[in-house]
Amino acid sequence: MERLNSTGSSPVKNIALGLLGMFIGALIFILGMTAGVVLSRPGGLLFTGASPFPPTNIAASAGASDAAAGQAELDFALIKDVIGRLRAQWYGEMPSSAQLTDGAIKGLVNALGDEFTQYVEPRFAKMLNEDITGAFEGIGATLKQTPSGSIQIVRTFPGMPAERGGVLPGDIIEAVDGVSTQGLNSTEVAAMVRGPRGTEVTLTLRRAGRSRPFQVTLVRERIEIPLVSSRMVGDGSIGYISLFDFSQPASKQLEKHLKEILDKQPKALILDLRDNPGGLLSQAKEVGDIFLKRGTFVIERDYRGNKKVTSTTDRGIAQDIPMVVLVNGGSASAAEIVAGALQDRGRATLIGEKTFGKGSVQSPQTLSNGGQLRITIERWYTPNDRAIHGVGITPDYVVSNPPEDVRDGKDPQLEAAIEFLTTGKTPAPTPIPTVAPTPLP
Amino acid sequence: MSRIEKGLVIAAFFVWSAMMVGAGYVGRMLLAPVELRTERIYRYGSNPHALLDEAWGYVRDHFVGVVPSDTVREYGAVRGALMTLNDRYTTFVEPQARALERDHMRGSFGGIGVGFARNERGEIVLSPMPDGPAAKAGVREGDILVGIDGVPLPSPADLEDVARIRGAVGAPVTIEVLRGPQRERLTFTIIRQMIEVKSVEWRAITTTTGSAPMTIGYVRIRNFTERTGEEVKRALAALSAADSQAYLIDLRDNGGGSLAAAVEVASEFLGDGVVAIEQRRDHLEIVHRVRKGRAKPADGHPVAVLVNGNTASAAEIVAGAIQDHRRGLLIGEKTFGKGSVQLIFELSDGSAVRVTSAKWLTPERRELDGVGLTPDIEVTGDADAQLERALRALGDAAR
Repeated sequence: MERLNSTGSSPVKNIALGLLGMFIGALIFILGMTAGVVLSRPGGLLFTGASPFPPTNIAASAGASDAAAGQAELDFALIKDVIGRLRAQWYGEMPSSAQLTDGAIKGLVNALGDEFTQYVEPRFAKMLNEDITGAFEGIGATLKQTPSGSIQIVRTFPGMPAERGGVLPGDIIEAVDGVSTQGLNSTEVAAMVRGPRGTEVTLTLRRAGRSRPFQVTLVRERIEIPLVSSRMVGDGSIGYISLFDFSQPASKQLEKHLKEILDKQPKALILDLRDNPGGLLSQAKEVGDIFLKRGTFVIERDYRGNKKVTSTTDRGIAQDIPMVVLVNGGSASAAEIVAGALQDRGRATLIGEKTFGKGSVQSPQTLSNGGQLRITIERWYTPNDRAIHGVGITPDYVVSNPPEDVRDGKDPQLEAAIEFLTTGKTPAPTPIPTVAPTPLP
Repeated sequence: MSRIEKGLVIAAFFVWSAMMVGAGYVGRMLLAPVELRTERIYRYGSNPHALLDEAWGYVRDHFVGVVPSDTVREYGAVRGALMTLNDRYTTFVEPQARALERDHMRGSFGGIGVGFARNERGEIVLSPMPDGPAAKAGVREGDILVGIDGVPLPSPADLEDVARIRGAVGAPVTIEVLRGPQRERLTFTIIRQMIEVKSVEWRAITTTTGSAPMTIGYVRIRNFTERTGEEVKRALAALSAADSQAYLIDLRDNGGGSLAAAVEVASEFLGDGVVAIEQRRDHLEIVHRVRKGRAKPADGHPVAVLVNGNTASAAEIVAGAIQDHRRGLLIGEKTFGKGSVQLIFELSDGSAVRVTSAKWLTPERRELDGVGLTPDIEVTGDADAQLERALRALGDAAR
């Protein structure tokens, strides 16, 4: 009775109603939120990624400003068509959209025909970024990508995990810790192989002469290799200096070793740049300064078409002494700049094999998906304006080091250099099998 | 307000706060991981187009060197995307290669009737078909092709470059050739005609082994084009008219072709039942049955099939069906083992994509991918020995 009488005016009832309202409000809030989250999931009704390549508003993408700037609008109609057909018909399980896009970007970059312009997938780009010190912790080997796309060991460093574990130059890496290297580039595989010292990495290798791939498990270490080593060779009258790479203290250490050698009054020098993978351009220039008088050292051309000439100064401590530079297919980048400058300027005689041919600078660019695009933005040319990139430096005298000689501890290239500097006898060229091109008459 | 009312308001406040905290907690729990996911999916799942634009923008603006054309770029991207499938049969085919492939599948095209071979110098050597347009215009065996329609051939030239010699029936093409040791330069303008490339060769072979001479109908199928079914029918009719008592189908070095043609050819030798089972994604099966309702000259006569390591795809469908139906013996070497079907989609600019759309199984549901068919009588190596063994087997079977 009392209740009926107090209809519409009881504060108790108002509060109860208010509570109910609040409760319903909160319930709707929670339900709404849950629903929203569920629906926005892949496979949910509102998920926009259901269609492989939905019509995209290009105005929101990077292409828009370019189109506005009067450049051709980018149009990937063909790839959209192809992926649509794959989704409809392909027998196997479709890779994720992210994988397809990664693949497409790799294909795009491969179309440039420059093996150093690479796309690094987000998962590997993350490893590269996280692990700044990682460049020095690993297995002590260098890699390259063969023209067929497989990842090959170029060099193993003496006493380092790869060499101790029996990994040989020429081995193909098929997998790293069970992850196939199929479709991956050298930067991506290197990112997987590197890691903190003390951790294990298992390589699946394929080797010529072995029918099956086999596995090698290595413990990563800090890679420390003496930057410079020197000694007297021949009958003790020739100074020999080997430079491992062009990292920060290279020129200072080289100069120190050189001073000790020059104190012994040698009649000639041998600078060994074989298997030197390069490093800093500044170090290359300082090394050039040691041996060269004033003049052009290297020419750089960038993507804007700008030409920049770097010259050597006149303060070297070994400007006149007769000199041979040893090079091979592992001499790359900064090593090729130095070898090319010494050759072009007539300062040294080059003996060995044709160099790698990497005369370029890559600039890493992080994309919005976290992947990294490493684009060749600059190329180097020798003082005589010879291209290094994709060409390499051909030595004055080609002498090869056959694998069987290397195994027996012999070094025909060094022997040829000593012979040349001692007697002036030019090395007999190693015959290289060539296929003569057939020009159309 | 009464004490009770005050109490209720305070209680309501606490309840509301508690609910909001709860809602926040639940919301956070739900949102935290998903927010990341949706963001990731937005960035390179739902809009790869934008990412390709982004990547290309950097390349175009910063790459030192020649930036390839839109076409090369687009083809590269398509190839890269297809690579992620890890299927060597799902491939991209550029327009000129596609045109050649189409001609090949049709078995006919507008051309001048010349065969091509490459000499040891990598040059393209012509071999005109007797009475073909090229032969009539004066092109001779051994002439070396150096230019088409005023454009010199690159050196070394590949088949795609040479394909420009083909075109619409009735349209002229001008070719430049070098002839003889003097390498005399000659120019011919030739009107293209419809050139048919036969996929089937046949002859009646009379064996003399055994007591009485016997006629065996020999049919060699090079590949399976749209016209192969018809060609085989005509061959069998002619061989039947020549009183063939047995039939030998030679599928050696036959790399396959049209699945429909394979079903048609297999139907010539089978009375009833299944030729092959096409198994698509999600267990969807398409059963290709023997085509019935017309005269089959080979009916009731022994059949044998010659196969080798290059017998693949559509050719394996025919051989597998004959083996599973126990219609005849397979003689020779183990076959290639390509148990997949590709659909060819032509794209807007004349290029195409071949997509592995199905696995196929033999009537007894054998899978052949990477396995191949094992012959009933294995004869390796020598082609003549294989043929001889097959003729002997058919002779025995007919007796």
